[in-house]
Parts: sequence; C-alpha cells; structure tokens
Amino acid sequence: MEEKILKPIPQKIKFFTTGTFILLALVAVGFTFGLARFILGLGTVTNLNDQYPWGIWIAIDVACGVALAAGGFTTAALIEIFGSKQYKPLLRPAILTAWLGYAMVAFALVFDLGRWWNMWRPIFNWQGNSVLFEVGMCVMGYLTVLTIEIAPAILEGLKIKMKEGGLLQKILLPLEKPVYFLHNVVHAMLPFFILAGVVLSFMHQSSLGTLMLIAPTKINPLWFTPILPLLFLLSAIMVGYPMVIFESIIASKSFKKEIEINLLSKLARKIPYIMAIYFIFKFGDLILRFDQLDFLKHPSATISFLVEIIMGLLIPFFLLLFKRVRRTPGWLFFSCLLIIIGVALNRINVYLIGYHPSFAEKIYFPAIGEILVTVSIISLIMLLYRFFANYFPILSGLPEAEEEEEKRPYVLQPKWAWAFRGVAVFLLLLFVFAYSYVHKESIKESIKAYQLVYSYEMKGKEPPKIKARDHIMRPKGYQTIYYLSNSILNSKTDYYEPVRFSHRSHDNFLKGNCAVCHHRISFDESDRVGLSLEEFHRDMDIILGAPCSSCHKDMNEIVIEACDKCHRWPDEPDNPARIGLKGAYHRQCIGCHEKTSSEGFLPVDCVDCHRKNVPNHKDLVNISDNPSIKDVTEKCLQCHEEQGKEILNSVHFKWGGHSPQVSGFEHSIDLGLNTILNNYMIGTGPNLAYCASCHIGFGWIKQPLALNDPKQIDCLVCHDTTGKYKKDPYGGGFPDPQIDLKEIALSVGIPSRKNCGNCHFYSDGGPNVKHGDLSPGLISPDPDYDVHMGAFQMNCQDCHYTKNHKILGRSLSAPATEGALSCQRCHSSKPHQISGILGAHLDNHIKSIACQTCHIPYIAKEYPTRIFLDWSKAGLEDFKLPKEEKDLIYKYDKKLGFEIWKRNYVPLYKWYDGKRKVYRLGDKLANLERVVLNEIEGDRKNPNSRIYPFKLHRAKQPYDTKENNLVVPKLYNGFWNDFNWQKAIKEGMEYLGMPFSGSYGFVETEMYTSINHKVVPKKKSLGCTDCHSTEAVRCSRCHKRAAEIELPEHYRRVYPNLKFLNFEELGYEGDPAITGGRFYTVLGRGLPPQ
Amino acid sequence: MKIDRRTLLISSLGLLLSSEKGLAEDSVSFAKDHWACLVDTTLCIGCRKCEEACNRANKLMKPSIPFDDKSVFKKHRRPTENAFTVVNEFPGSPSIAQWDRKNTTVKIQCMHCLDPSCVSACIVGALRKSEEGPVIYNPTICIGCRYCMIACPFEILAYEYSNPLTPRVKKCQFCVNTNPEGKANPACAAACPTEAIVFGKRGELLELARNRIKQKKDQYINHIYGEYEVGGTSWLYLAGRDITELGFKRLQKEAPPRLTEEIQHSIFKYGAIPILFYGFLGALMAYTNRKNKKGE
Repeated sequence: MEEKILKPIPQKIKFFTTGTFILLALVAVGFTFGLARFILGLGTVTNLNDQYPWGIWIAIDVACGVALAAGGFTTAALIEIFGSKQYKPLLRPAILTAWLGYAMVAFALVFDLGRWWNMWRPIFNWQGNSVLFEVGMCVMGYLTVLTIEIAPAILEGLKIKMKEGGLLQKILLPLEKPVYFLHNVVHAMLPFFILAGVVLSFMHQSSLGTLMLIAPTKINPLWFTPILPLLFLLSAIMVGYPMVIFESIIASKSFKKEIEINLLSKLARKIPYIMAIYFIFKFGDLILRFDQLDFLKHPSATISFLVEIIMGLLIPFFLLLFKRVRRTPGWLFFSCLLIIIGVALNRINVYLIGYHPSFAEKIYFPAIGEILVTVSIISLIMLLYRFFANYFPILSGLPEAEEEEEKRPYVLQPKWAWAFRGVAVFLLLLFVFAYSYVHKESIKESIKAYQLVYSYEMKGKEPPKIKARDHIMRPKGYQTIYYLSNSILNSKTDYYEPVRFSHRSHDNFLKGNCAVCHHRISFDESDRVGLSLEEFHRDMDIILGAPCSSCHKDMNEIVIEACDKCHRWPDEPDNPARIGLKGAYHRQCIGCHEKTSSEGFLPVDCVDCHRKNVPNHKDLVNISDNPSIKDVTEKCLQCHEEQGKEILNSVHFKWGGHSPQVSGFEHSIDLGLNTILNNYMIGTGPNLAYCASCHIGFGWIKQPLALNDPKQIDCLVCHDTTGKYKKDPYGGGFPDPQIDLKEIALSVGIPSRKNCGNCHFYSDGGPNVKHGDLSPGLISPDPDYDVHMGAFQMNCQDCHYTKNHKILGRSLSAPATEGALSCQRCHSSKPHQISGILGAHLDNHIKSIACQTCHIPYIAKEYPTRIFLDWSKAGLEDFKLPKEEKDLIYKYDKKLGFEIWKRNYVPLYKWYDGKRKVYRLGDKLANLERVVLNEIEGDRKNPNSRIYPFKLHRAKQPYDTKENNLVVPKLYNGFWNDFNWQKAIKEGMEYLGMPFSGSYGFVETEMYTSINHKVVPKKKSLGCTDCHSTEAVRCSRCHKRAAEIELPEHYRRVYPNLKFLNFEELGYEGDPAITGGRFYTVLGRGLPPQ
Repeated sequence: MKIDRRTLLISSLGLLLSSEKGLAEDSVSFAKDHWACLVDTTLCIGCRKCEEACNRANKLMKPSIPFDDKSVFKKHRRPTENAFTVVNEFPGSPSIAQWDRKNTTVKIQCMHCLDPSCVSACIVGALRKSEEGPVIYNPTICIGCRYCMIACPFEILAYEYSNPLTPRVKKCQFCVNTNPEGKANPACAAACPTEAIVFGKRGELLELARNRIKQKKDQYINHIYGEYEVGGTSWLYLAGRDITELGFKRLQKEAPPRLTEEIQHSIFKYGAIPILFYGFLGALMAYTNRKNKKGE
C-alpha cells in the first residue's frame, strides 16, 4: 500500500514567507496591546466592566480555543481506541493543533486573569464546588497529557537533528542519552495517557457548558438548558474531525503537499452521524423548552442563534451528506469551515452574545486591544504550527533516507517502567493529601486577612454644656434648648454633632400639643412599651389635638415619657424590632419637617439640624514640614475641590456680589468693597495690603487678586481650631510668617465664634471700632451679655445659616449679601410665647418694632465703640483733648486724628424697610451739609418698615473740593509715613484711576451700622415703661374687668437711667399705646394692612 | 493501576464536598443565626448616609460628587469598586400609606446569599461564606478570573479594572473587618438615621419583617425579598410596592449553584463515572489492539 510508506517527516521548506511576516507583524502589534494591559490594567485595554466581566478573551481565546482543540482527543480516540489505524497520518497534526491550542488558552488566560501571577493557585487552593476549578484542573491535566502525546514527535525531531550535523548537533549531542531514554519512557506510557486525555476532554468540554449554568438569569434561554454540558461535549466531538480536515487542507496548501482527500473524505463521512446525535439533543431540548424561549427580547441574540443553527449546523450537515462534497477539497473545506464557525459561534453566543446582564448600560463590544490580542494569539498558533510542522516530524511525507534502524538504544526494562509508574502514583497520592490540607488551611487564613481593623477617629467633640433653664408649669425635663444627645448614641456613630433642640420653639410651633412626639405613656418603670397616649385619652372620651396645657394646667403633675425611656439604643440584642433612639428621633422629626417645610423654616437637610463632625485630618492628610500657606491650600483643594469653587463665588472671597438691598442696585452684581468707601478707614483700593488682612484670601499686596484662582483661598483663617492662626496685618492677607501652619492645617474644624470674630470683631482696625454689637466679648460671654452665645453656646452659623459656603446675613457697610435672616425663623411670628393678653400685646409689637429694638437695649458694654473720627486732625504732633464727659472717651491718634468713643451706647432708632442707599466711589456730593454714605430707607407709613436700632458713626474725611467727590488716600505706606494729605490722596486716586483736582477739604459724613448681636435675656430687655408711660400700659385702661390683675414684672423700667424710643422723632403724635398705631387711631381696630 | 492523578483528584474532591452539603439542603432554616440586615424601603429617605458610612468604613476613594448631593439619583447606579453600596431613586411613593412621597429610594449592596453563587463559582475559594453569614473575599489567593462576577445573580460585584497588577473583586464584606464579632451594626446600618436598615439574626429579622407586614397592611406588600430568592439571602428587603420595580430582579427560589453543583457532583462524585469511563475505554483499546494484531 502506498500509505504505508508515508511517515511523519519534517517538511523543511522555507519558513519565512510573506504570510509568516504578516503573522509576525500581527503578533507584534497584539503583544504591544498585551503589554499595555500589564502596565495600565485591564480597564485601559479592554471594554470589560462590572456588568461584562468576560469578553472575547474568554469567549474566543478560551471557550472557542478549547472547543476547537477537540480534534486532538477525537482523533486519538479514533485511532488508538477504535483502532482505525488508517488515519494515523492525521494524528500528529491533530495532537499538535490541540497542544498548541491548549497552550495558547493558558497563555491567553495570562492576559485575562487580573492576578495572573496567582495562576498556580488552583493547584493548591482547591474549591471542589467550582465548575471553573474542574475546568482549570482538567485543562492543566490535559495540557500535560497533550505534552506527553506530542513528546514522541518532538523527541524524534531532536533525534533527527542529532544526526543531521551542524551547530545544532553539537548543542544537542550531550542530550542524546536523556532524549532516547525519555522517548522510551513516553512510548511505554503513551496508551495510558491517551486514555486519560479522552476522559479529561470529556470532562472539561462538558464542564465548559456547566460553567455558564451558574448564571440562569443572565444567559438567554435560547442557550440556557440543564443539558448544556452535554451539548457542549457533543458539539466539541462534532467539531473535532472538521477541525482535523480543515487544518489538514490548510497545511497541505501551506506546505505545498497533495491533499489526502481519500483519507479526509472517509473521515468526513463520520461527521453527519455525530452531527445527527448533536441535532437530536439540541432540537429535542429546544422543543421541550419551547415555551421558555423568547425570540423578541434580544433580537441580536436571536439572529446569532439562527446563524448558528442554519449556517453552522443545517447547511454543513446537508452538504456533507453528498459524496461529491466530501470528495471535493474545496467543498469539504467549506463545509468543515461552516461547522467550525458554527461551534465557535455557539461558544461566543453562550459566553457573550447570549449573556444579558440586567443592569448593563451598554452592550459589550470588544475593544481594539482585545481584538488585536486575540488575533495575535491565533497568529501565534499558526506560526508555531508552521514551525513545528517544518522542523519536526508532524506531517506525513516520504522520508528522505529510508533507513529502518529502529535499534532503540537505552531501552527501559519493563520492571523499571512499572517502578517509575509506581513512584509517580505514590507522589500523586502524596500531593492529593498534602494539597487538601493546604486547601483547608487557606480557607482559615482567609478570614485572618480581614482582621485589619480600620479606625476612623472622629474629632471627639463634647457638645458644650448648656445651662438648664426650667420653665414653670413645665415638666422637669423641659428646657428651652438642649442637646438631643445620648452617650450610647454618640458612641455608636457618627459624623454629626448632636442636634441642638429647642423644646420651647417646637412647643410653640406644635401649639402646645406634646402628644405629637410623646406618643406613648407607661405607668411602670420597667414597661418599655406603654400605652398609646391617644388610646389612653380616648378611653376617657378625650380626643387629643389641643394644647395639653389647656387641661393639664401644671404639666409637672403628669408623666411625660422621655424618648429614651423606650427607645434606648440602635440595635437591641433582645429585640431588633424595637426602634432605636436614633431611628425614633429621625422618624419622628422627618415626617413633620418634610410635610410642613414649605410653611416656614423647617430644616430638612441633615446639616440643617446637625453640625458635621470634622474628621481628624492628622490621619487623612500628609503635609510636609513648614508648609507655605499655598501648600496648605493646595492640600485642602486636593479633596475639597468643590468647596474651592464655592468659595470663589462667595461674597467673603469676592468682597462683592449681588446687592438686592441697595436701592437702585437691586439687580447689580458689581457693588463691592472696592467700589464704595466708608468713613472708617475710607477705602480699600490703595490700602489693600492692609485691608486684605481681613480677606479670606492671600496675595493682595499690590494689586487686586485674581479672583478666579482657588489656590489663593485662605482656608485656615476660618477653619483653624487651634486659635494660633494669625494674619500679618500689613501682609496683604498672608499669615504671620512665624506661625507653624502644619499644626494648624492638621487640626482644622468647623469655624467657631473666634474664627468669625478674628475679622468681624475687629473691623476697621480694632475691637468695636465699627460694630458696637460685635466685640471680642462674644468669644465667651455671660448669658446676660448675649443670651444666644452665652446661655446656649450658639455659634455664628447657627443663625447665619451656612450652606455651600454661602452665609446668610447682611451688613450696612458691605453692599453684597448672600441672603437675609431674621429672628422669626426660629422664634416664629408669635415669638413671645406668653399666653393671654400680655402675649398678644407683645406679639403685636413685632409688626412695627424689630426684635433687636427691645432685646438689645444698648451696646458697647465692655469696650467703648467709636462714634466720631476727625481725619482732618491727623498728623498733628500736638493735639489737646477736650475734657471727658460721662461714657464719652476722647482719643488722639496721629495716624487717624481725633476720635470720640462711647461706652454703653444707646442705639439710634429709625424706620427701616430693609433697603438702603449707597455712596459709590466718584459719586458727586449733592449736599455738603449732610453726607450719608449708607442712608437707611424706611418710613412710618410703609408697612414693611419697622423700627430698628442703629449705631451712627460720623467722620470728617477728605474730599476733592473741585471734583466734589470723596477721595481715598493711600494710608499704608503713604499718609501714615509722611502725613502729607496732598500726596496720599494723589497716590490713592491714581491707584484707583480716578481724577484728583489737587485741592482737598474735609467734609463730615455719616454712616450707619446695624445692631443685631448681644441680645440680652428677657429679663434684661426693655420693659414696657422703658418707652411707654406708666399710665399708657395700665391694663385697666382698656380692659375694664382687669382692674385687679397684677401687672407683670415686665411692667417696670429695666433701665431707669437710659432713654430709648422717642415716639415723636419716629413720627408718632405721641405714645402709640395711647394715640394708636401707625395705621389706625382707634384701639381694637384689627390688624395693620399687610 | 488505574489510579492516576485525575481520579485521585476527583475522589478527594468528593470527600471534601460531602462535608459541605448541609448548607445547600435547607437554606432558610439553616441560617437562623446568620448575620442579617433588614432593609425597609418604606423608611428609607435617600439621605445616602449609608453610602458615606460604607465609604469611610472601607476606606474607599472619595467620590467626586459629595454624599449630600442628590443629583446622583438622576441615574440608576450600581455598586462599583469605590462604592459597595449605592442608593437609587425610583419614581412613585414607597407605599399607599406614604402616598404623598414622590420617590422611593432603595439601597443595594451584596446580598450575602445563604447559598452564594460567587462562592460556589470561585476557583480557589477566595470568596467564602463564613460561618456567621457574611460572604467574604480573600484577595491573596484570588487569581482574578472574575467568574464570581458572572455568577452573581444580583450583579453586585465590582472589579478594579484599572489596577494592572493586584486588582481585587470589590464588594460589601458585611463590615467583618471592623466588626469581626458581629456585635455592632455594620457601618451602613449604624449610620442610617431612620433605622431603615436593621441588623440582627436572620431568623429574628424574618419574624420582625412578618410582624411589620401583619401590622401595617397599607405600608407593606406581603413579600420579603431575600427570604427565598436564590435560596435565601442575608439581606432582606421589605417594600410597599412590587420590588421588581425598585431595581431588583425576580429570581427563582433555587440557588443557581444547586444546578451546577448537582451536575458536577453527580457526574464526578468520587470520580466514579470518569474511572468507569476510563476503564471502558481501556477495555475497548485493548480489544481493538488485539483484533488489529490478529488481523495483521
């Protein structure tokens, strides 16, 4: 027979052709992307995401790779087990293809595995439940088996090389003995491994199907079936021979050999039978599950399914039934290719196209890198195939020298062969037991890896102590303001400080109905469930809804349960059903706050009620020693980038902005400290180096700052908690160079009163110079000094509500604002909370009188405040002070001139509707007799106006007598050096780019400052007779039956020595208690117009 | 003679598996003492405090959008490598009782299944169901195959795709690192202001959930999500509307690993079938060889 002569021989043709160069180029390009994957990570090179964790590297490189390598075991089984020795020429190419295929599967996995260096782990860490483990171990085992199966070819190749001479022979000759020895050993053991190879293939080919059965919700029902493993196995067997035929035809073409069509067509005759078996199972399964199939949900999957079935299964099946097709190389090749594509598509369908994650944002499509790496791996297989077929005896052909010298040196004795096998079996056994032990230990280890305890230390700030203020007729626990704080609650969590809770204002807003929150009552200390208050009252035929105090005159008599009587801590070991204290508070609060938030100021955001706990930045921030302030800001901005943007738009940084309260400029956003001037230090402009020491930025020495650079924000001036931060008074906003910024930067926190006060208590050069109501005394005041900050320890931002670095509040000296605030926000429109007639009378006052008027009787308590400044006297060497009067203090400062300061300043009362005028730089002075820089608007006849207290500051300041406008002299590094007005004004106006005629004079100007702080406790606020006459407020004057009623304490004068409201000056005919309010003259006449 | 590496491997697997069978058989009553959390979607207010707490407890990267910014609700989010739990908002009130609320907010995270697919899938046992209930991840032995992510029926797991050398699977660990004994609440439950998340033993929480359903008929529908889904989960959800409208899938009662493990263990148990198959093939081989020799 002709075939008998044929033997596997090295083909020995030219290796490098155009084709191989193209393949090499593809490999190179793909490996570049592969390298990028190792340097930059999977995310950069692939389109994989959390929804699509597997892409084509698994679907094609692994799943298709394994399936298409099935030629190896099917051919081996055919020849060695079923004994069809005639196909022997096809064995070695098939085994080589399989071997290369599996090696490349392993190689491709290196790219895909996230921790590829852990690839060996499955050998030691066994997880028997995992299908993937089964696949992995079988693939590893089968790769070993294939290596042994291909070993004879390789070893024979080496033997041939040893005989051929040349350099290779010299290198290989020392290996002669082991090569021959190994060849013999392998030859002896080969049948066992061929059997093992078939079994292993059956196992993992089917397991690759089981693999995807773990995701029943994601795999399209077109493919999801419990018999998927069987289908995978059958299709793998089905693709085996077509793969052998396909590869044989290509190899014949490539090596310019004759196609072994006789052999191939014989082999091809078996294919339809195998396909038929697959057919039966595939269609049987589809028919049985037909009601589960949904062809319309994922149309692309359905199309892919149809292509797989029709093109990959039906067409080749019918084609291969024809003998002519089987005998024609072209048609045979085409049919086999269709089957291969069909099976490959089946794998891709199961692993990718039919994989539908529910939450994917977009369908996965492979990235260019994935495609190129896959192409390069396929190219590499082809290259290696060509290499091995070229230099090793793989493909059959006529041997050059027909020498039958099968002498077999170094033959292994049979008993030694068995001994070797015995040792191998023993070692395997040892491995099995050792590894199972390692496996169990590794699981124990896994929990230890998580024993690293992360601690996130909060800056444990104890809430400040608030002195309890008891209320008569109220239960003991009822206090005006207190912290909803519980030590257990605080220890469990959290990022927030406890809530400052005002019982009284909630009482007020809820109209005295305590049952809204205190919904249950218990009569036994140990009873933590109690009775519903509503049911309890219903039993007595009382329906709740009215103030409790309408029946319970003295609330002390009844028991009102505190919240933590029943709700104690968040997770109660005995009863998780009971709501914990935190949940109870929140559920109780959030409902009301959300429902009624439109009606008034009811906070709904977390930070509206809580203050944020600032984490300890020592753990979070790594900052170099002796940082500059810029380093600190940059460090802050690394995390707080958003906050930087907020600051850039804030009034505190821009010193200007929207000015809705300035009449004529309601819609302007240009007004700011740089466009106006005042009568204290006159103006910023040329004096920025000095003025900027109160700016929350730095770098404002010579020219205006670039107001869009977040790196020039001075974070520390507000967020310092050490109290050590200090700005250089002449440094243009830079801090004092002596201080250690690192320590300050690492202990940042929420601004305190001191932080705000650093600028606001010292505005215009010293304590109380400008504001009589803002002085360093507010850092730790007595309750009598300021009730909010003294008694209740409130911070500035508790009233000046702050969000996104926008701070509520308005000033009469700075035109821009970020929103107004009012006392009513917390105190409601009926703030006095005194029941009966007196309460109504007091609450009526707030329609015409601002709260501040009565509740801030006078200011400048410990420091005097300046009321007059004469710049015209500045620079004199010798100035004689006038004689001091009571409460008035005269001072002379060469830099500023003559000053008058006043202690215990009783405010000036004026009608104010919230609007004011402004004097801008360059405005002409209309009337030199009275120049007001920020005139208050308001009128008795305007219903929006109310009587507010103000402080008036007068000054004689320079103006241009010819241009007739106020001027800004250069004080720092100017007038204060040489006391030359002419020069200072010239320099100053030049800096501003404004004309100066050269002649200057001094004009008296006025400026108002609002008074809002230093609210005194109610007993210290004005009494009725501080303004009204005793006769006017006698109850019986109107209420005839009230003759015997004792007038309350409040009736008396609180400040007998001071004079307050002057009704005539405010436009009233007389005491409005007698003559009537501003809109009516008869008593009992209803409400004023809204 | 016929004992080779493969058969030994498989038979020892069978031994290993037989000891772990208990978990699979009666997953609901089995896990009475497991750590669990009950999420009441009708109480959730969408404050995202759980996200913040989780981020801090696990020392994750700070997101660019701060936690008090609710604009993130515009998009339905999934857990990522830097957010083990996320809150999503769905239009419509949480229940009839809360008809005046516009939106329902729901937190999602790893459900800590009683019979977790990821644990069954993991090739090396890097994911593990601990005795107390949490499904925990051990990165040291993980090979990064991401089969767990394929397996997860809730599609929760996230991966560090940008890490080139040591990427990890990221998911909720039930705070076992900060709370190894399970005595304190996990970070999210501790942070929840309305106690919409209750931490406790699974059996007790199921009872609590049933009580709530019984007491407030207009606030809850009679379905505890996670009681039976995929064999039961340690995180249970109560809702006042169909929970599949709230970003959850309708899932089968049987845990997915039951199918795959059944296939695996029935075919490969003690390696019996492969050994028999090996023997059969060996006999066939011997027979054909003899026949061929005779033929020659």
